[in-house]
Amino acid sequence: MSGQFRPSRRAMLKVGLAATATVASPAVLRSARADTGPIKIGLPLALTGALGSVGQQQKRGAELWAKVQNAKGGILGRQIELLIEDTAGNPANCVRKAQEMVERRDCRLLTGITLSSEALAVVPKLAEWDSIFISSDNGDGRLTAESLVPNFFRANISGPMGTRAVSLYLRSAKLQKFYALGLDYAWGHNSVQVFEQETTKSKKEFIGKVFAPTGTKDYSPYITKIRQSGADAVFLVLQGDDNNAFLSQAQQYRLPEKVKLLTEIVDLTSIRAVGDASLGLIGSSRYSFTYDHPLNGEFVALWKKEHNTVPDTFEGEQWQCMKVFEAGIVKAGGIEAAKLRPALEDIEIESVKGKVHIRKCDHQGVQQGFMVEVVKKPGFDTPVPEVIATFPGDETTPTCNTMTFKD
Amino acid sequence: MSTFGLLLSQFADALSQSALLFFLGVGLTLIFGLMRIVNFAHGALYMLGAFVGYSLAHWSGNYWVALAGAPMLVGLFGVAFEFSILRRLYRRDAHAFLMVTFGLALVLGEAVRLTWGSDALKVAAPPALSGVIFLLDEPFPVYRLFLAATGIVVAVAIWQFLERSRLGLLIRATSQNAEMANALGVDIKLIRSCVFGIGCGLAALGGVLAAPLVTASNGMAATVIIDAFVIVIIGGMGSFLGSLIGALLIGFVQVFGNYYAPDFALAFMYLVMLVVLVVRPGGLLGKEA
Repeated sequence: MSGQFRPSRRAMLKVGLAATATVASPAVLRSARADTGPIKIGLPLALTGALGSVGQQQKRGAELWAKVQNAKGGILGRQIELLIEDTAGNPANCVRKAQEMVERRDCRLLTGITLSSEALAVVPKLAEWDSIFISSDNGDGRLTAESLVPNFFRANISGPMGTRAVSLYLRSAKLQKFYALGLDYAWGHNSVQVFEQETTKSKKEFIGKVFAPTGTKDYSPYITKIRQSGADAVFLVLQGDDNNAFLSQAQQYRLPEKVKLLTEIVDLTSIRAVGDASLGLIGSSRYSFTYDHPLNGEFVALWKKEHNTVPDTFEGEQWQCMKVFEAGIVKAGGIEAAKLRPALEDIEIESVKGKVHIRKCDHQGVQQGFMVEVVKKPGFDTPVPEVIATFPGDETTPTCNTMTFKD
Repeated sequence: MSTFGLLLSQFADALSQSALLFFLGVGLTLIFGLMRIVNFAHGALYMLGAFVGYSLAHWSGNYWVALAGAPMLVGLFGVAFEFSILRRLYRRDAHAFLMVTFGLALVLGEAVRLTWGSDALKVAAPPALSGVIFLLDEPFPVYRLFLAATGIVVAVAIWQFLERSRLGLLIRATSQNAEMANALGVDIKLIRSCVFGIGCGLAALGGVLAAPLVTASNGMAATVIIDAFVIVIIGGMGSFLGSLIGALLIGFVQVFGNYYAPDFALAFMYLVMLVVLVVRPGGLLGKEA
């Protein structure tokens, strides 16, 4: 047909080359940036919502580490860039924010995901994203057991590890009958389950358990249940606003006069929020500024200089997590998952809590367990956690890839 | 504890929780009834009340100053917001109000975080209310009885205000037919400002009263706004008595549900709402019912 447009072969070749260059160039540039640009670390955090105070602590811990590291010239000569987004503690939000960090901002390192439910939603995507995620606070034992994926690591003390420290401490205690109250999501159920197993194993009586939805404002029905159970002690797996509400109301009901309060995690922020209502609380500690270790002394001094106060639980945990990241990246000589994963496996660092060894078999950071009691100390406006017992890491860490312990 | 003692204690608990829920619900329903505005910032105003209360209590060393001052200050903020922002939107559709009040919630949340920080803050109950009384040998916090009593006093006061005072009469008239009220010389702009301020003040009253139970925290807003909407939907949008009944229903369902069937307690609340909506789509005392 006359007048029909027939492009020449040369023109077609030009168009084809241009199209190929257009499509391929971002990948080439991305790859070049990934090797030479700043090291991006993504932190999808619950900065708002019931666990907002935890997310804010994680943010501050990571920010101070990045500031110190960048002042020293970064890692491998590359500056650190933190990508921080608020998930409001919603797993679907968390996956979306993490995906945006990976796909739109070319970030391959993740940490700080605040809730275990968020972490459990993210880990199945890590292989597809070719990303490494190091947990700094996720408690759910399944993350290093049945839900373990190759690109997930945990630098923090897990829920089962914290619960185990409490159980080991209770073996020599006079308390015999126990009740448990946990938050009604992954971490709460997991820790209560481990506590029940450990209590039964140590020939003590586990009377019952109850779970409260996150964001519960009125704990009076739960306090009544605990009081009526006849337990000597109640094991609490609560966090953030829920923990504050429970401790405040328990004191108003005079519950600690009848039932000893034990907790999976003693958090300094909660202690400050409820004041004397936390006095006498005994539990495991993920981190405390009171730990007697030279590196902790240095960290606390640095923190005081920066923030004019002592670091909180998850500020210390996040700091330790970033130190694991740092050691792994230096050892791997890069941030690519294929290099970083083997570098992190079996890595050992000296941290604010002592030695932390990331096991190759399940990627759990083995570290000593701490038991603390909340007491009043001269020189402090609010009560503080005081270390009352420590347990070696091999006693508080579950057998590989499980949530159970040898004895 | 005897069964009677247990029930008595739970009844008192439920009343105290209903009182807190009522302060939220009645503010929301007053604003909707008069202005047809679904105020998404109501939870944020409740949180603001708790934080302003914290500062007033901290500054004065007296909880009663906080209890009186926080609702007034937040109420004045509400009046200023209505005067400066909402007043420009009355000729526009409901979406404009949704966007603006949702925006206000976000701004308030961030402003509170920047002003008071991200950590929860302790607000202690006044010493006179910090003790316990014994209900059949079981300790019960005096502060919770105070909450229940405050709820009753405020409910009666609002009822009397709406039914007996001139301003209450004008509010009811404007609520029923704003154009007619305006034609008869009622300054409906002033009425709207007052009602928005009263609604905000009631939310703040709830916040400052709840603070000794839950501390003042950034997460407060998100956890109460759903309860507030459920109460208003059950009672009927715009109905004062409906919000009272809704608050009582939800308070009792939460306390008894969490004790007797904790696994289903959350579901019970929504089940009650579902049943009400099926039987009376406009709510128990709503105008569309």
